[in-house]
Amino acid sequence: MGSVSLTNICKSFGGVEVLHDISVTVQDGEFVVLVGPSGCGKSTLLRCIAGLEEVGSGDIHIDDRRVNTIAPKRRDIAMVFQNYALYPHMTVAQNMGFSLRLARVGAEEMRAKVDEAAAILGLEDLLERYPRQLSGGQRQRVAMGRAIVRNPKVFLFDEPLSNLDAKLRVQMRSEIKQLHQRLKATIVYVTHDQIEAMTMADRIVVMRGGRVEQIGAPLELYDNPANVFVAGFIGSPAMNLFPALLADGQVVIEGAGTLPAAPDAPPGEQPVIVGMRPEDMTISDTGIPAEVVLVEPTGAETQLLARLGGQIVVLTMRDRIEATPGQRINITLPPAKIHLFDPETEASLRTPVATNRSREVDHA
Amino acid sequence: MSPRSDRTLAYWMILPVVAAVLTFIVGPTYDVFTMGFTRFRMGMPLEFGSLANFRALFADPVFWTVMRNTAIWILGGTIGCVLLGLLIATYLAVDSRQTMVLRALILLPWILPDVVTAMAWRWMLHGQVGIIGQTATSIGLSERPISFLGDPDLVMWSLVVVVVWRKMPLVALILCAAIRSVPQEHLEAARIDGANAWQRFRFVILPHIAFSLTAVTVISMIWITAEFALPWIMTGGGPANSSHIMATYIYQQSFQFFNWGVGAAMSVVNLVVLVAIVTLYLYIMRRSWRSEADR
Repeated sequence: MGSVSLTNICKSFGGVEVLHDISVTVQDGEFVVLVGPSGCGKSTLLRCIAGLEEVGSGDIHIDDRRVNTIAPKRRDIAMVFQNYALYPHMTVAQNMGFSLRLARVGAEEMRAKVDEAAAILGLEDLLERYPRQLSGGQRQRVAMGRAIVRNPKVFLFDEPLSNLDAKLRVQMRSEIKQLHQRLKATIVYVTHDQIEAMTMADRIVVMRGGRVEQIGAPLELYDNPANVFVAGFIGSPAMNLFPALLADGQVVIEGAGTLPAAPDAPPGEQPVIVGMRPEDMTISDTGIPAEVVLVEPTGAETQLLARLGGQIVVLTMRDRIEATPGQRINITLPPAKIHLFDPETEASLRTPVATNRSREVDHA
Repeated sequence: MSPRSDRTLAYWMILPVVAAVLTFIVGPTYDVFTMGFTRFRMGMPLEFGSLANFRALFADPVFWTVMRNTAIWILGGTIGCVLLGLLIATYLAVDSRQTMVLRALILLPWILPDVVTAMAWRWMLHGQVGIIGQTATSIGLSERPISFLGDPDLVMWSLVVVVVWRKMPLVALILCAAIRSVPQEHLEAARIDGANAWQRFRFVILPHIAFSLTAVTVISMIWITAEFALPWIMTGGGPANSSHIMATYIYQQSFQFFNWGVGAAMSVVNLVVLVAIVTLYLYIMRRSWRSEADR
């Protein structure tokens, strides 16, 4: 297996710059997910690693080897495409063995490697079928088998689950993660789905507009988002974000009241964007007054829409609560769970503990 | 509307087409067929059920030249069209400023009328004043001017070159469209799997366009078999009957020599060849369609 390091990658199509100075390191055996909204450059970055796109400037290293000018086939990588890209006129076995056939590997060795990959993926009975005779999930597995057969240094996945239905997606998600644990493979995985990113990744790279917004382990991003974008992007239902005033250690929400801010909040008075996770908020006797707008029971939990001053906030409750629209409630949450962002730069105003902790995880 | 009147209406709707086919295709074919088996003798009643026309046809020394020439014409023309078409299509499928212009320009030979094409090529290939022969002489390729259409050994091949020039563009455009419909991800997957340009063509593009390739092969075969004006205007079957193909031979026998019986007999042979080609086409396409439906 291998590591990947991207240093100051820039790329533009025509006059449009799509990647701005991106630096990411993927450790040996690590599962890194590139996540972001469409058009954020995550797929382009992956294609740069694969060698399907050339970078404008910057360096790509795979295991200490600079691969900028090296053809895809010599980079020792394998890629799984969104539409699987299986060759329609070849059987499953031929699809999986194609790279070996091109490399002039002997028939017996090829058979053995294909069988081995098929066994890992449970494709033994499908080897003589054609792609058109397979279901979406099976095709996805064949595409992974094609990658596994090559035993590459790095696996690249380009939104591999977005063509599957919701149920199959959840199943394949855990299959890919188990595969990673079994093969101890280095994986770079692109998705726009933050839940996929959260559940699968060792580390997440959040991208927007061709820039890296934040890099970190899933729960670090969740607990300590570096800016408003990451705060709103990671987590479902999304974090409640709205403008407020920070004054002498208190968060003042206009028309509602005040909440105590965390001790590491900056002193003095300034406008802020305040962020509160729906599940961090609780209903209590004390706290800031709000009014119930809507109650949505989902079974396992209850979602509550409440009017807090000028805005609507979402609360997620573990318990089944009896509430009716129009009812007055009081909301409270621990000061450490209140996120504060600068309205100008959108950066977090709190001490960035995330990066320190992510380094520890890397070396663990 | 009741099913009964539905059916009546349906018959009325297809009546014009059926009438046209009967009048213009089945009728003449039947006529030619019976004519081929009828003996014409001046002042005698017509004798149906005679093989005299076929005996006369096979006895004509030109007949075997015609068969050989027709084989060169159809096979040479088709293979030339498809291979050259595929080569040019592969180039045209690449996006660049040149290919954008060429994709439009390449249709030029296709839109010219047959007569114009034939006359222009006749002059260009002329032994004394033809630009091609002159150029060949002036750059030292040949010591004497070459008469492409006057040399019995060259004339058929010259005709094949012209028909390829004329029929190839559409083949190239159809194949270009087929090549461009190959999913980009398949080509990228093949690149990562380690395929070089030739291997990508051989293992990804070629299987993908196999259906179109079969179709254009048979279609160009039919076009070239049916082509008459080009060879007739350029050589009229000459020199010394050395460039007759079935179409020109039939025309000459029937409408210049008024040898209706032999012309009809040759038409029957022509029909058999065409039916064989079409049967082959339907057979191959039937298999392609089935595999297409499975996809």
